Amino acid sequence: MPTANDNLLDNAANLALEIGRLLMESGARGRAVEDQVIKIARGLGADRVDVRLGYASLAITVGLGHEALTLMRKVGPHGVNQRLDIALRGLATRIENRELAAPAAKAELARLEKETPRHPLWIVVVAVGLACMAFGRLLGVDWLGTGPVFLAACFAQWLRREFAAHHINPFIGAALVAFSGSLLAGAGARGLASATVDTAMIAAVLLLVPGVPALNAQSDIIEGRPTLGSARAVGVAMVLLFSTAGVWLARACLGAGQ
Amino acid sequence: MNLDLYQLAHQAFFGGVAAAGFGVLFNIGLRSLPWYAASGALALGVRTFAQSAGWSFEIASFTAAAAVGCSMVFLPERVSRVRNALAVAGCIPMVPGSAAAKAILGFFALTTQPAADSTALLLVSFENLLRVMFTIGAIATGLAIPTLLRPRAKT
Repeated sequence: MPTANDNLLDNAANLALEIGRLLMESGARGRAVEDQVIKIARGLGADRVDVRLGYASLAITVGLGHEALTLMRKVGPHGVNQRLDIALRGLATRIENRELAAPAAKAELARLEKETPRHPLWIVVVAVGLACMAFGRLLGVDWLGTGPVFLAACFAQWLRREFAAHHINPFIGAALVAFSGSLLAGAGARGLASATVDTAMIAAVLLLVPGVPALNAQSDIIEGRPTLGSARAVGVAMVLLFSTAGVWLARACLGAGQ
Repeated sequence: MNLDLYQLAHQAFFGGVAAAGFGVLFNIGLRSLPWYAASGALALGVRTFAQSAGWSFEIASFTAAAAVGCSMVFLPERVSRVRNALAVAGCIPMVPGSAAAKAILGFFALTTQPAADSTALLLVSFENLLRVMFTIGAIATGLAIPTLLRPRAKT
């Protein structure tokens, strides 16, 4: 028969792992995930907490007195969702301060997961188009090339969202998005007689560069988590490789960069 | 020092636009958007200034990331909870995605070149690859400085 300590440890481990998983999937770096997971488990009554962070799974051991419990949870695709990340950290602080008991914390977590807002697709598409256009200017794309970069990046972001919604393999998706975006930007820039067609073709698909995972990889290694950091770096390298293959194919189609 | 004010303003402005655009992609609240733009503008402004002083691209990127990371200490209380996200988003425009693409494109092209012509291409591709590795390392280290200097509670 489960004791009160069993229930306490079960709640502490499950909630800590669930919030840790969501933080990983929202783009938090390893140290932040570990800190929040430990805060939650301690806030729910555990007096010993050990955490193992992996790229595809998290594991935790919580202990109280002579009893201990170890659980593992699978981590899904890594993305970036800063509003959810911030909300989860706020929830972790409330649990640490004993403002929420386990049942209320579970209900609050379910609410955050369901109700944390996302921007409408059109706002994201336009914002990404503007960001890539700005990247283009930073890289030296001339004014004639900025319009095609903006439109191509908008299309590429829309396509990326569609592929993600249909669970297309992220690497194949990156190559297809890069090919389409780069081809559109290159054709447009050439049509407008831009002198920077090659750079425009790259600028339009810089939305695919996994900047947050790349910085997280380095931070994880610096902060003493080389396994997690290396796994992130391999993922970053693969996305870059497939994206560049898409650009390469688009250049071949347009006869650019010869 | 060879400081071109137009170039500095241009880089800072488009750095701000890029950081704000990526902020939306990362699902930040729209009220925080000006802070993200300011963070990107600061990063690109400092990097451009440092480059105009003759510093290398990598050291200039490190300095800019450290400046952004340290500037977060001075944020007003109401935005301090987005401090880390803000610092990362500000540095996103400095991630050398273009150099990464050029490096990989160069390696692809090596397979179609006669061996005699490939030395220069190999060197340029390696140069771009090293620039990517050193710059990402420099940005992440610069960003991590405030965190690493903060004492961490024993768990």
